[in-house]
Amino acid sequence: MIRVLDRQFSVEESLDSLNLFIRKWFVSRYKEPSPPQRYSFKLIKEKKNILVTAPTGSGKTFSAFMAVLSDLMNMSLANQLEEKVYCIYVSPLRALNNDIYRNLNEPLSEIYSDLSIDVKKITVGIRTGDTPTSERQKHIAHPPNILVTTPESLAILLNSPRFMENLKDLKYFIIDELHELANNKRGVHLSLSIERLAEAVGHDFIRIGMGATLHPIEDAARFLVGYDRKGKERDCDVVDATWNKKLQFVAMSPVKDIMNAKDEEIENSLYSTMNSIIKKNSTTLIFTNTRSGTERVVYNLAKRYKYGNEHIAAHHGSLSRDTRLGVEEMLKKGKLKCVVSSTSLELGIDIGSIDNVIQLGSPKSVARVVQRIGRSGHGFGNPAIGEVIVTNRDDLVECSVMLDSAVKRHLDSFNTPKNALDVLCQHIVGMALNRKWDVEEAYETIRCSYPYHTLDKQDYFAVLRYLSGMYVGLESRRVYAKIWYDEKEKVFGRRGKLTKLIYYLNLGTIPDEVSVDVVTKENKHIGNIEEEFLARLKPGDIFVLGGRVYRFEYSRVMKAYVSDASGMAPTIPPWYSEQLPLTYELAINIGRFRAEFTEAVSKSAKKEKKLISKLSRNTLEANKDAKKILDSMPMDDNAKNSMFNYFMEQLLFAGYVPNDRFMLIEQSVDEESERNLIIFHSLYGRRINDAMSRLFGIKIADMHDTEVGVNITDNGFVIMTPEDVRITGKEIHAIIQELGRSDLYKMLRENIRRTEMMKRRFRHCAARSFMILRNYRGIKIGVRRQHVNSQAILKAVEEMDPNFPILKETYREIFDDLMDLPRTTGIIKGLVEGSIDYKVITSDIPSPFSHMMLTFGEADVIMMSDRRRHLKELRKQVLAKLKEMSK
Amino acid sequence: MIELYKGVYVVEGMPVLFIKKLNALVCSDLHLGYEGVMADRGIFLPKTNLAKIKETLKKSTEITGAKKLIIDGDIKNEFSKVHMEEFNEFRELVSFLKELDIEELHLVKGNHDNFIDRFERPFGIKIYRQEFLLKDVLFFHGEELPASDEGKLLVMGHLHPAVGIFNKLGVKEKVKCFLYGKMADKRDIIILPAMNYFSEGIEVNISNIDDTPVFRRMLNLMDMNVVGIDYTEAVKFGSVRELADIL
Repeated sequence: MIRVLDRQFSVEESLDSLNLFIRKWFVSRYKEPSPPQRYSFKLIKEKKNILVTAPTGSGKTFSAFMAVLSDLMNMSLANQLEEKVYCIYVSPLRALNNDIYRNLNEPLSEIYSDLSIDVKKITVGIRTGDTPTSERQKHIAHPPNILVTTPESLAILLNSPRFMENLKDLKYFIIDELHELANNKRGVHLSLSIERLAEAVGHDFIRIGMGATLHPIEDAARFLVGYDRKGKERDCDVVDATWNKKLQFVAMSPVKDIMNAKDEEIENSLYSTMNSIIKKNSTTLIFTNTRSGTERVVYNLAKRYKYGNEHIAAHHGSLSRDTRLGVEEMLKKGKLKCVVSSTSLELGIDIGSIDNVIQLGSPKSVARVVQRIGRSGHGFGNPAIGEVIVTNRDDLVECSVMLDSAVKRHLDSFNTPKNALDVLCQHIVGMALNRKWDVEEAYETIRCSYPYHTLDKQDYFAVLRYLSGMYVGLESRRVYAKIWYDEKEKVFGRRGKLTKLIYYLNLGTIPDEVSVDVVTKENKHIGNIEEEFLARLKPGDIFVLGGRVYRFEYSRVMKAYVSDASGMAPTIPPWYSEQLPLTYELAINIGRFRAEFTEAVSKSAKKEKKLISKLSRNTLEANKDAKKILDSMPMDDNAKNSMFNYFMEQLLFAGYVPNDRFMLIEQSVDEESERNLIIFHSLYGRRINDAMSRLFGIKIADMHDTEVGVNITDNGFVIMTPEDVRITGKEIHAIIQELGRSDLYKMLRENIRRTEMMKRRFRHCAARSFMILRNYRGIKIGVRRQHVNSQAILKAVEEMDPNFPILKETYREIFDDLMDLPRTTGIIKGLVEGSIDYKVITSDIPSPFSHMMLTFGEADVIMMSDRRRHLKELRKQVLAKLKEMSK
Repeated sequence: MIELYKGVYVVEGMPVLFIKKLNALVCSDLHLGYEGVMADRGIFLPKTNLAKIKETLKKSTEITGAKKLIIDGDIKNEFSKVHMEEFNEFRELVSFLKELDIEELHLVKGNHDNFIDRFERPFGIKIYRQEFLLKDVLFFHGEELPASDEGKLLVMGHLHPAVGIFNKLGVKEKVKCFLYGKMADKRDIIILPAMNYFSEGIEVNISNIDDTPVFRRMLNLMDMNVVGIDYTEAVKFGSVRELADIL
């Protein structure tokens, strides 16, 4: 049973659970246990599986390790320690592993140096991809008592029979940064590894999970502990100490009037606001949402306020490892005034103490903003302090609701990929290498893992057939088959001399990516784009790279040739960028807020001249009801002011404000391109809008036999049709009814079948399934070569069997992980059945709430002036029309 | 069947040309043994290519009744040696052609076809090093310019031409295609799509391929006409220039 605990043990009870020496050391260092430790010390001693979620830097790691060290210290003192592994610690980050290794050795050496008796000491070993072979050999001969490792290295150890001998008495298994694993295939892979491990050692062990908070936390616990062989959920105690640390945060608008302020004014104010926060504190951490944003902020802060390299630094994934380590080192020593990061500092790497976190623009998820701001403040005693600086009107609404949700603890949910067949392929090869398996027995082992608990047996058999080469002719099976499988006897096992090497060299779930060089015709290098982005480009398309505008000319052999297009409006949205999609729950919360706030705003909505002239200057005062709502939210006065005016403008202009239960559909025209627009205000996040826009796009294109353009954002999507194709409200109604009757999976499958996205995802899945090897016989196979051939395989496989497991997995990944087709189906059902209302309106000028969608709502930190110009033009038209209406 | 020049046809949407006066089918770039070579490199393709080639040739002979087959280069895939799979597939193809009542097999050597001369005598086929003339049609692979200035119609392969077409939702699809048009010296030329099933080809309307030797010296790519194929039907797309313009 999963039990969520809410009562801590007393300090005394907690400390009493520790070994005397460990306790002495702990008290001398930390005085008393932190909130998570006041659960964990005792529970781990009682041999309970436990999941602890708490902010980074809250003593989370020691909440697990003190209890483990305590147990091992008892053994050490009784001289019962053998050369065996008693505890495995896995984290997704090598850097974190190095920190842990240091942090464990420190108390051990201090404690042992104070001890006068001569006993066997607790040993700690580390094994990652960086560990030299000599060290690994040593681990086999003299295994450490505590092994610190990564998911990938663990999977390799599972296939080392000599090392497995050392694990027979394993007592503890710790997963750190569980939130970084529970929602992706890397975590799925780890989950299966743990079940294989439990099966191999022949007994269960205590599972301890640590991480930032996740919702629903019960599912996170299930991910950690899985099911026993009878299919019963294993017990787990859950401790959510996230909220024990006080969070102080506010959504800020950098200027009083975010609607009318000039670009320069916004930019100046943005940096001066940041700088005043930096100056007030000893160390400030700034999060941007993209790597290029990170670079620009560092550049501008340094230039404007004369910060040198010793004061300010960038930290993101594109920087070299040495640069990042250097920055981390300076942070630990408290030398830096400010560090700017995209996502890399979100995780639990030790970076010393941070006083304040600034978030620029929406991080798109409640859990993420809590986690990021939670990086500030020392321990549990001090609150975490942060500011979210918004960059435009929609960002303003989003961030305010996000922080409000955080206050109310309404977290967005995570999603574990279920029954991923590619990861399963890897593990079945690994299992087959170890021994002969009864098909049912292996199936039961796999089903112990939470992500595979509902694995369909037919899919499982299909994987066995694929791996044993049954899809190819007998004569080729020698080369193709990775396992031996007897369908009649229902057993499988190892096959081929090369398979073991293939397993070692190709294991893992993180795909190789192809990046395409962007160059001018003179061959000057400008930057890189993802190949998927390239696939969408037509010659003549205008897009943004590194803050500048370019026209795509042509591509050739992984190079995209462009010319300068400064001053032109982009035709391609930058939504392929690193920006994460808005989570569904947050989107719904924003929708609910819209409904509630609109009701308050509507009380003073009158088309009067005076009101409209105030509105155009953004100086309209919020009415009593609206003020009450705004005052209850964590936002500054500038933000409150703009929020009220924004809603009023939409309400007066369009007569409707869309929300989670009401989808506004607007027909309008884009004057510049003379195309017709159908704007769907479907505030459900990009994952759903991606699927939904395709479904509507397909129907509209078919209905009028025409080309359509699609623009997708988190707040909605826009379908563009040629000048002479105008879709009527009646037709939209008919399309919704038709979608309600259609097989949406089939429609979408047909739609994405030949896209670059499909090819790319298929390549990833084929690589994870060992169909395309990244490394064969010691020779690395370049990702370009992998790619060229994945298109070919995809084609061949489709003809061979439409239910081929890797093909099936590719569609699953796209529909469930990348998009959210299950929820999309629900929303369409809602539209058909009436639980979600909709209204089609016509207007020659698009309504205010659609402006960000039309100008590619995915705002980066610093707005592009071209886009702002377009926005302002739209707004001017809206205001002019409102004035006219008030006459 | 679409007629490119008088008596010269694209066979029903397949990458095969039929020349009536020669009673011959022409195709190019088979790359036999492809899957085997790929498997050696750690890429495990299901075997498809040869089966697809056989199916295509069978249909083509049924439709046209041709008695000759001309393979315009790159019958096999490996540069440096003859791979076991290549040899097996080649043998299988030759015996299959007998079943189809193909009386003559002519083979132009391509850049992948080293070491293939040893097949000439045991299999009773004709192999040409560079190019060969049959009546007034000059066949050459295309990697290098033809030496001969004879022939009214030239046929080459090598390029694997395709076009990128954007569908209604702005999604790009690649379509194999024939290219045909006039050369600088006024002779007619046809460029064949690849017969290899796995080869999707180079998008001539998007990728800039003007600087390959053939195009630099012999003809203007933009003026070439395009016939797209998808194994069921062939469609005239106009010139490469027109295709590039409407993008």
